[in-house]
Amino acid sequence: MKRFFEKFVESALLISGSITSITILLIIIFLFKEASGLFTTPVIEEGYELALNKTNPVKHLTSYEIKEIFDGKISNWNEVGGKNEAIELVRLSDLTKYYTEAELGSNFENIPAKSSELTSKHPGIILFLPTSYIKKDFNGTLLKHETLHPGDFFGGKEWYPTASPSPQYGLLPLLLGTLWVSLGAILLSLPFGISVAVYLAEIASMRVRNILKPVIELLAGIPSVVYGFFGLVVIVPFLQKLFQLPVGETALAGSVVLGIMALPTIITVAEDAMRTVPRAMKEASLALGATHWQTIYKVIIPYSKSGITSAAVLGIGRAIGETMAVLMVTGNAAVIPHTLLEPVRTIPATIAAELGETAAGGGHYQALFMLGVILFVITMIISISIEFIGKKKYSN
Amino acid sequence: MTNTRNIETNTNLSSPLGARGSLDVRGLTIDAKNVDFYYSEFHALKNINFEVSKNEVVALIGPSGCGKSTFLRLLNRMNDLIPGTRMTGSVLIDGEDIYAPNIHVDELRKEVGMVFQKPNPFPKSIFENVAYGLRVNGIKDKTFIEERVIESIKSAALWDEVKDKLNKSAFALSGGQQQRLCIARALAISPKVVLMDEPASALDPISTAKIEDLIHELKKDYTIIIVTHNMQQASRVSDKTAYFYLGELIEFDKTTTIFTNPKEHSTQNYVTGRFG
Repeated sequence: MKRFFEKFVESALLISGSITSITILLIIIFLFKEASGLFTTPVIEEGYELALNKTNPVKHLTSYEIKEIFDGKISNWNEVGGKNEAIELVRLSDLTKYYTEAELGSNFENIPAKSSELTSKHPGIILFLPTSYIKKDFNGTLLKHETLHPGDFFGGKEWYPTASPSPQYGLLPLLLGTLWVSLGAILLSLPFGISVAVYLAEIASMRVRNILKPVIELLAGIPSVVYGFFGLVVIVPFLQKLFQLPVGETALAGSVVLGIMALPTIITVAEDAMRTVPRAMKEASLALGATHWQTIYKVIIPYSKSGITSAAVLGIGRAIGETMAVLMVTGNAAVIPHTLLEPVRTIPATIAAELGETAAGGGHYQALFMLGVILFVITMIISISIEFIGKKKYSN
Repeated sequence: MTNTRNIETNTNLSSPLGARGSLDVRGLTIDAKNVDFYYSEFHALKNINFEVSKNEVVALIGPSGCGKSTFLRLLNRMNDLIPGTRMTGSVLIDGEDIYAPNIHVDELRKEVGMVFQKPNPFPKSIFENVAYGLRVNGIKDKTFIEERVIESIKSAALWDEVKDKLNKSAFALSGGQQQRLCIARALAISPKVVLMDEPASALDPISTAKIEDLIHELKKDYTIIIVTHNMQQASRVSDKTAYFYLGELIEFDKTTTIFTNPKEHSTQNYVTGRFG
């Protein structure tokens, strides 16, 4: 009976273990599956066509070029490898400039014929209209439907997923925003965190430690939205005043908030590492006439180096994945940041802010999942490096 | 730093405790008076009176928990590190009260070196382990450090074994070698007193013999206090032996007397192996 019970518990444990692992694997597979379609989505909105005059030698436009043309930034065909000819931009709604409503027909039944005519008459035209208005005898070149190039995603400098006709899914501004904010956070929190850890582990009296440690650990339990709120109400206006900025919602504000959030992790991990320095090491140093401070920086810190590195990496991990607080204080402008005093947008903030507005399965949706994959890869690299650092400690 | 060092003329670090002996008699006297020591409520040492002359080797023996290690650690104020401890009475080294408020603990520990029960080299190279004490004492002169390191390793009878691998990690050495490295490290800063807390308890007989030979060598230059559980070792290496029991110093006399004709019954029981 007892043996049967043990077997039962054993298999229950096995099942729960495998279910957990399978769930995690499924989540990862789902993430990759949803993201995988990104590079097969067309660069032009689905159900639309871009048409050019037949004499136009341009047969191919990148997603970025299309966007620049429709933004009016590119106004001559020679900029995209064509003749020296001004670009004439025509959207569906612009047809009324060329034809009267009567000519287009009361039910717009003449649009296909008229747009064909318009395209053939204007050598510099680029016409953007729904596929349903393109008839077989259309007199013009239809741009081939290309798919998003990985280079456009990984090297893209613009994140503008609602751009029409060609949404921009450039990773760089978001990735750099994330790294920028995290780097700032770690630069702020690491020196503080390690000093506090040294203080707690080596200098503070038992009583002070017993009060401080739980308070610091409590910091880790505050919901991130509260940190964001605090950042928005206190840090953002403070930075705005301090640096005379037009807006205080900057990468630096995000760094400060994240730095505060990462502190408990860094302090706890680093302090634990310092406390595991064998007493024999400390005593050996002190017995040789070293002062307490000499012992701290010549023995304790070098000895707990790997623990301190883990603390830093864990802190970075926390900073990179953090969503809510950053979303609230960084201003969320998806531009490549040049200083810490500019608004930035991070990867997690982008996903949180935009996923609700996308159509499932669309290009934007897939792009957000691809961002999730990127985040996953970054955090995985971080965990692997922690593992590696941890192993190194014991190999010596 | 109050003391200055004359590197050219002498390799001995000068004493922060004032008066020092001539070169052939370098050790210091130790004089503990009415020492009581408490770990929180536990009365670990009871009214200890203990006197050691220069260049003597004294063995502290007694069953586990009798207070001999505690007493040893009082002599370089290592017990300061343990929270909740308290001491009354006085410990004079070379006539000076080491528990006086004007004594800097780190200066004291340069005079009173210590070797621990378990070898505890730093995770550094062999060379850096021995040089550590010199470096933390502010010595920057490279040639002096090098000479001193080599000299110390030689006097710890380790030179032949490590001369080719001074830059290797100290962890690559065997336990016995590590312990001799720790002795070399203690000697490098030229202490006057060396405290040894069961230095051979974790070692094999051959390494133990080497350490014992070493103690005989070191006796010329240092006052040595050694805690040991090994009666034979105590009788082999020491001039005097102190027997501790339950926090009291039961008997303190010449080693030969303790082992052949002890005054106290308890001592006799212990040294003959009838108890403990």
